Amino acid sequence: MGQPLSGIRIVEMGQLIAIPFATKLLADMGAEVIRIESCSRLEEYRTYSLYDNDATGEYWNRAANFYEQNRNKFGITLDLETDKGIRLLKDIISISDVFAQNFTPRVVKKFGLEYESLSQIKPDIIMVSSTGYGHTGPWSQFGAIGYGTEAASGLTHMTGYEDGPPVLPQIPHADFTAAEHTVFAIMASLIHRASTGTGQFIDISQTETLSATIPEAIMDYSINGSTKGRMGNQHSEMSPHGCYPCKGNDRWIAISIENDEEWINLCRVLDNPKLTTEPRFSNANDRHIHRKELDQLLIDSTSLRDQYELMKELQENKVPAGAVVNGKQLLFDPHLKARGFFETISHHISTGIPPLPYPSRPWKMSKSEVMVSNPAPIMGEHNEQVICSLLGNTNEHLKSLENENIVGYKPINPRSNTMPLEIQKRKGQIIKYERNFRDQLHEHFGDL
Amino acid sequence: MGNKALDGIKVLDLTHHISGPYCTKLLADFGADVIKIERPKTGDPARNSKPFFQDEKNLEHSLTFLYLNTNKKSITVDLKSDLGIEIFTKLLLQSDILVENFSPHVMPSLGLTYKKLHGINPRLVQVSISNFGQTGPYRDYKASDIVEYALGGLMYLIGSNHREPLKHAFNQAQFKAGTNASSAALIALYEAKTTGVGQHVDVSIHESIASSLRDTTSLYTYMGAIRHRQPEDSGIIPERHAVKSKDGYTVPIQYGSVAWEIFANFINKPELKSPRFETPESRTQNARELKEIIGESFESREKLETFYAAHEHPGLIYGVVQSPDDILQNPQYTERGFFKEIDHPVTGKANYPNAPFIMSKTPKSDNNSAPTLGQHNKEIMLSVLGYSSAQINHLYKVGVI
Repeated sequence: MGQPLSGIRIVEMGQLIAIPFATKLLADMGAEVIRIESCSRLEEYRTYSLYDNDATGEYWNRAANFYEQNRNKFGITLDLETDKGIRLLKDIISISDVFAQNFTPRVVKKFGLEYESLSQIKPDIIMVSSTGYGHTGPWSQFGAIGYGTEAASGLTHMTGYEDGPPVLPQIPHADFTAAEHTVFAIMASLIHRASTGTGQFIDISQTETLSATIPEAIMDYSINGSTKGRMGNQHSEMSPHGCYPCKGNDRWIAISIENDEEWINLCRVLDNPKLTTEPRFSNANDRHIHRKELDQLLIDSTSLRDQYELMKELQENKVPAGAVVNGKQLLFDPHLKARGFFETISHHISTGIPPLPYPSRPWKMSKSEVMVSNPAPIMGEHNEQVICSLLGNTNEHLKSLENENIVGYKPINPRSNTMPLEIQKRKGQIIKYERNFRDQLHEHFGDL
Repeated sequence: MGNKALDGIKVLDLTHHISGPYCTKLLADFGADVIKIERPKTGDPARNSKPFFQDEKNLEHSLTFLYLNTNKKSITVDLKSDLGIEIFTKLLLQSDILVENFSPHVMPSLGLTYKKLHGINPRLVQVSISNFGQTGPYRDYKASDIVEYALGGLMYLIGSNHREPLKHAFNQAQFKAGTNASSAALIALYEAKTTGVGQHVDVSIHESIASSLRDTTSLYTYMGAIRHRQPEDSGIIPERHAVKSKDGYTVPIQYGSVAWEIFANFINKPELKSPRFETPESRTQNARELKEIIGESFESREKLETFYAAHEHPGLIYGVVQSPDDILQNPQYTERGFFKEIDHPVTGKANYPNAPFIMSKTPKSDNNSAPTLGQHNKEIMLSVLGYSSAQINHLYKVGVI
């Protein structure tokens, strides 16, 4: 067995997550992914979360988000505002299996990259469009990022404290949902093409993919005409169900109880068997009715306990419970360590970044070989490899493209977007920062 | 009929609740033949989950079940009986993919280890979805969506910074795992079609969350920092906070560099151009006042009015918080055919969310409702497996089907 998708070539023009995350997973499984960037429009994800928070020098090659989303890919730069740039892109598409992008319809048209045109160049091309609201319709020209598409999907309306406004997360959750569906859509097209020889155009609306994952809300309204309000961490049936404070600053544990057996075990672990004799909490229905008082009583017990110790004891007693972990705790999680979930990736030698652990992927396969992780490309890293070796152009031609700024190796107008860590802390974007992080990484992961 | 992307692919579906069924729903909706094995008499436990059709509890009334199991066939089989295992094995021999989402000890306890199943059908792709994966110290931990959110690292990033963190509403963790499982199934199938050999795919709900947190762990590996839930009063335009409008909420997102002046003019508050609010530092200093002025402007307009007006300005890529009611009336959703009428034998005709994306040559075309419990017992036992009527009657009598 080798890599499942070796021999598949994907060319990608997509910023942020919705397209890049999807093609990253496909690259992990062996697809050759060529990512196209612009020197005149520096990618957002190359401008912050920089190694050591250092924005000097060629910082655009030291950005965490770019590495997260683009490992195992080849990177070139092209100026699509020029005819030569567009022609090169079309040359690459003519020898590719999939073309994935997130332009609005107006931009697709401007560049002459409509599916109808591209299928003249490569009849079985699979073209993927992933936009906030979809490639057609009255909202198709509206730009969007994850927080906007999450808001439109219906999920935000239902998420938040009972007495509060709708709430969005700190990361663009909706982008990942769209990307996850995109992997499925591309694979379905490849399978169809393998037996029919036919390509097609896949139109992904990021908002719609997220709406597809909340039938509870949408169908309750479309069929029963009913909408529930925001419920915080409460559940429509289970109680107790919520997030409870533990010992220490900002330490919490999530607990959810589905039946009487779990309830009895919970009371025993919290050392409060009185709760089990309390008639108000004797069955699931009554526990749900009195959930607010119940939560208050639980808080009294949980705040005396360490989140991990309590979780362990509850799980040993078959009670669903989980410590609420922050980014550092997740990185050092013992279960993820045993699972080999974080994989070590090195970085281009010019960046000076040591090999680091990154989240791998949401599946494990018993036989397929996963691509040994290569770092994300530095800007223009594979210009020569793609334009010359792959497309057959001469080195002289490449030189002339460089002179005309159609192809390049650095942003024309660099702009970084960093803030000193102390200020990020003051603004509440981070809770703390630790100067000895390299030592701690070494202690947990060993030699990377 | 129409061209189907996954035409001819046979899926044996042992899943229940949400993560497994969403995986097999994606496969079924895009053309695979999915046979869902349910427990006799009680069926998939999701049949008991709210909300119910007309708020009336019934095995055929769960809206979540009705949505998750479109285009699948249902057969009831008791997998704890030898005769039931015989039926299962016959179906397995004809299948390309098997999907299950039991706790990891269950399949082996039924004698259905991967090794055994692979021996029966070497080209089979088995997809196992579980809370924490098939291996590791948390393998047998019990979980629900909130526990996955907590241990997955996403919960810490949602909500206010001065009280308990939140999970998203409903069952996002399980849907994510289901989506990832459907992709992994197709990747493994794609390989099996060339090599003729299947494999075991291990999908963990926990890892589905942990792999989709953007640079949350990298903030630590890159600079030792730990991301937190950001307060609302940080003196910048609250792009990750919903701002009240007259009839709901919008999300004032700016992309690229948008001059402060443009925003001040857009919300029609010239006082924002005064020195008190000119620079990021002064805005932080006067955060409270800034929030009041911005709030006042947004609250005076309706959300869609603000949303449409913003999108006439480059860089003001505002979002609008939509309720299910808004979505059902939304012109973009309507134009794209997001809803489709499906007719169910018990609950009748209703509008269901149609497909999560549009494929030009192989769109989702079948609109069969979720099956009633054991609806296809006779059809599958007779036509697919070749049992006789007498045999089928006997199996019913002894509770195997």
